[in-house]
Amino acid sequence: MARFSFLKVWLLGCCLSIAPIALAQQQDTTRHQLHTVEVFGKPAEVYAAGSRVAQLDSSYLDTYASGSLAQALQARTPLYLKSYGVSGISTVAFRGTNASQTAILWNGLNISSPTLGQTDFATLPVSGFGNVAVQYGPAAATYGSGAIGGAVLLNSPDYKGEGFGADVQTETGSFGRYFGSSNVKYGTTKVQAGTGLYYGQAANNFKYKDLTRYQTPEVRQENAAVSQYGITQDLVWQLAAATKFALHGWYTFADREVQPAMGSAANKAQLQDKNLRLMAELEHNSRYGQTAVKAALFNDYLQYTSNTTASSISDVNTYQLQAEQAYTHGNRWSLRGGINLQHFAATNSGYAGEQSENRASAFALLRYDPASNLKLSLNLRQAIIEGYNPKPTPALGFDWKFYNDNINQLSLKGNVAGSYRAPTLNDRFWVGAGNPDLKPEQGWSYESGLRHLFILGNTLLLETELTAYHMLIDDWIQWSPDAGGRWRPVNLFRVAAEGIEANTKATITLGEAKLSATAGYTYTSSEQAKVYEGSGNKGNQLMYVPRHKAVLGAVAAYKGWSVLSNLNYTGIRYTNNSESNYLKDFMLLDLALSKRLQLHTHNLVLTLRSDNVTNATYQTMAYHAMPPRGYTFSLRFIIP
Amino acid sequence: MKRLNTFRSFFSAIALSVAAFGFTSCDDNNNDAPSGAYAEEGVFVVNEGNYGTPTGSVSYYSKTAKQVQNGIFSKENDSRPLGDVVQSMTIQNDRAYIVANNSNKIEVVNTYTFKSEGVIEGLLLPRYFVALNNTKGYVTEWVSFGQAGRVSVIDLASRTVTKTISVGVMPEKLLLVNGKLYVTNGGGNSVSVINTNTDVVEQSITVSDSPNGLVLDKNNNVWVLSGGKVAYNSDWTVDYTKTTAGALNMINPSTQAVQTTFTFPGNQSQPGNLAISSGKDKLYFNYAGKTYAHNIGASSLSNSVLINRSFYGLGVDPETGLIYGGDANGFAGDGTVYIYNPDGTSAGSFTAGIAPNGFVFN
Repeated sequence: MARFSFLKVWLLGCCLSIAPIALAQQQDTTRHQLHTVEVFGKPAEVYAAGSRVAQLDSSYLDTYASGSLAQALQARTPLYLKSYGVSGISTVAFRGTNASQTAILWNGLNISSPTLGQTDFATLPVSGFGNVAVQYGPAAATYGSGAIGGAVLLNSPDYKGEGFGADVQTETGSFGRYFGSSNVKYGTTKVQAGTGLYYGQAANNFKYKDLTRYQTPEVRQENAAVSQYGITQDLVWQLAAATKFALHGWYTFADREVQPAMGSAANKAQLQDKNLRLMAELEHNSRYGQTAVKAALFNDYLQYTSNTTASSISDVNTYQLQAEQAYTHGNRWSLRGGINLQHFAATNSGYAGEQSENRASAFALLRYDPASNLKLSLNLRQAIIEGYNPKPTPALGFDWKFYNDNINQLSLKGNVAGSYRAPTLNDRFWVGAGNPDLKPEQGWSYESGLRHLFILGNTLLLETELTAYHMLIDDWIQWSPDAGGRWRPVNLFRVAAEGIEANTKATITLGEAKLSATAGYTYTSSEQAKVYEGSGNKGNQLMYVPRHKAVLGAVAAYKGWSVLSNLNYTGIRYTNNSESNYLKDFMLLDLALSKRLQLHTHNLVLTLRSDNVTNATYQTMAYHAMPPRGYTFSLRFIIP
Repeated sequence: MKRLNTFRSFFSAIALSVAAFGFTSCDDNNNDAPSGAYAEEGVFVVNEGNYGTPTGSVSYYSKTAKQVQNGIFSKENDSRPLGDVVQSMTIQNDRAYIVANNSNKIEVVNTYTFKSEGVIEGLLLPRYFVALNNTKGYVTEWVSFGQAGRVSVIDLASRTVTKTISVGVMPEKLLLVNGKLYVTNGGGNSVSVINTNTDVVEQSITVSDSPNGLVLDKNNNVWVLSGGKVAYNSDWTVDYTKTTAGALNMINPSTQAVQTTFTFPGNQSQPGNLAISSGKDKLYFNYAGKTYAHNIGASSLSNSVLINRSFYGLGVDPETGLIYGGDANGFAGDGTVYIYNPDGTSAGSFTAGIAPNGFVFN
């Protein structure tokens, strides 16, 4: 408990010392525009012609820097987040698939836990990385196992400029929430270094109506407190004009009480996550193109304790090596080839001793632009996994800008892609359950879309995209009891998912005012098309896949003031595969008002946020209460 | 993490998957014919739900219309969920007592309308309930994993606990015979006998390891089915050198002694789901993936297969003799209830809620 009070003192100190400055500078209305960063042409996207890759808006990430990645994706993308309450595990799924069928990459390497095959987004704070991109649809040819439904790409900040810079933030909010972070960077022509630290805690002791109890009394949430801290460290060293060496380190610690479902006995369950991620990267440019080598060590530690079961521990080391060579010929051809090696060493309370696995894959990615308005990409990956035999995964995509009159641009896009997911270590090694006959999941997807750009000088940019897809995922792995009641993973069914994604984004600049708005809607149908064991639930929508989800976000900035709003509508979600029970649809509204004050060359940003403004009652996992309306106030001091 | 949870639920499911419900008494002494949506002759199906969520429910199957209504508690009570791990239900005249194990409560409803009448709270992992009369009831509680459980005495008028009686580990099934309450201690190898006048344990009868079933036959003998103790190696694989075989014990209530013991042929499978036929002369149970019938007078353990599969829950209609078996269908969706004639031939099926584990006949 000592560190809690230390933190409070520290936060209080920050508030007190910053407040007078803020008051003194209130008259300062120095113009400042919040910049919306749009990053196109990131290396990963070069070979993704015809796929939809969306960057999370940086003004949103700035405002919600203290939140988790789960929160950010929930508000800004049409992805569905399954959160076991406010403190529990949060996973994300694309296009009617499940969380294990989503690849999470950090600086280009997969960080999903090899034991569970998924990543808990609640333990990933937004302040831990520089930018987030979301790639819809299979990307296994580029990212390997697990990228069936899509991929979330996290990257360390891109440090630029010389000299010293810092960013200190402190925040306090409803339900016992405190957050503090500090990021420092230093750069010369040769070296760029950055360090980030954060600490957050939340009691999450909000009140909710217990719908399961006799006379549905209002009760206070128990056993949902969270404390988290972490550190990021980046070092980029320009060894020579054409050679760069980088080190990235990221450590996160989360201690969470596991919020029980309403009406379930509180068993004082607790989760402790420790994730260490280290990576070294060497990049060299020569006349043969760009050579990149990445070596990484990840350690994922997870401990679950409760007063009803024995404590269980999972501790996994992942070693990864990726070497690749990119060669660009003229303006039209680009070829990237490489290999990825992975070694997992896991100890787990459910395994008999330490277990390990080796995986290797080779990939070739080709981009060819036959004309200035036509981009083609052809990717191929072949994985070799101990004990399994995944099929090669190709991807073929095109992006054809068939109309361009300088105001309107229209593009037709499409791709066909294969994908796979190797069984997890739990699927293989769980004592008494591990199934050696398991086959890797195989996905096959077709998508096509239209993209429209409407540009009116510097005043208006309107970007609209409409995508339709059809996807088959065969040998879907699910844990299920066999005839003798023994739970084990099986290739249970084939799933057919199809849907539509519509998206539009407008950016309007009028003098000193800037308005940007995004709207997105997805329709998702995902059902069992073929059942291999048992009776199944053919033709029903899979559980926790909403048919409809829509998001609306807007940022208006004027003279240092900015207002940010997010509206998220999520349709009903069935809570079982029989469509016999469902969670009601919900609408969430978040609002934030911020004021940026210029203090010499420094900035002070004051933000007042309200989450769930309309006080909506909603759940993303059945019977796990979510917080009512809450307020957060934050101060952020930036030395650019 | 989901996998871990699933796995944990699996252990719990195994631990919680006990039994049938064939013996719940059904008192028809009412002079006024009861009225309500569920007043006619029917079968209540107890659906456990998924561990960790209040998705347990009760289904009502009308024997005359051969139609099922699922989730009747929620339906009659403003969509309120019933509870987490709905373990059992007991009818005492016009009240039904529904035990929600992982919600630590007993919901009390009107038997004929299923409208909520109250709740008994403050219990610790309650399992089964029995009413002595309209004012006094008993509930078994595990209290905590691995420790001695208890039987709580409930004042049915105020719906409060008036006394707790310490018994063995993981007390489960309850049976009233001649004013004595028999309690199986599933985590041990005994049956506690409580005197219902004094509410103290009078005797502890040693039976085979891990008793999970308790029925009364037509000769007023008490049958106890024991699963056998499963021993684990340090890596959680079953240690078959230490695992004991299941057994069927017959207790003679007049001597309070085990009179007959039939041990099962092997320790690879644990027998469970004990139920008794409508004539109270035949025992039904699941063993090694099958359903067996055993005549109470037989001199050795029956090997006659009645139904070529096992069930998550098993029950027998005391009036028609039809056998009801619940299939959990992998717990990811609704379960199915299969109905069989007393000779084991199929007599239909219907869809119930998640994990149907027991049947109550009205």
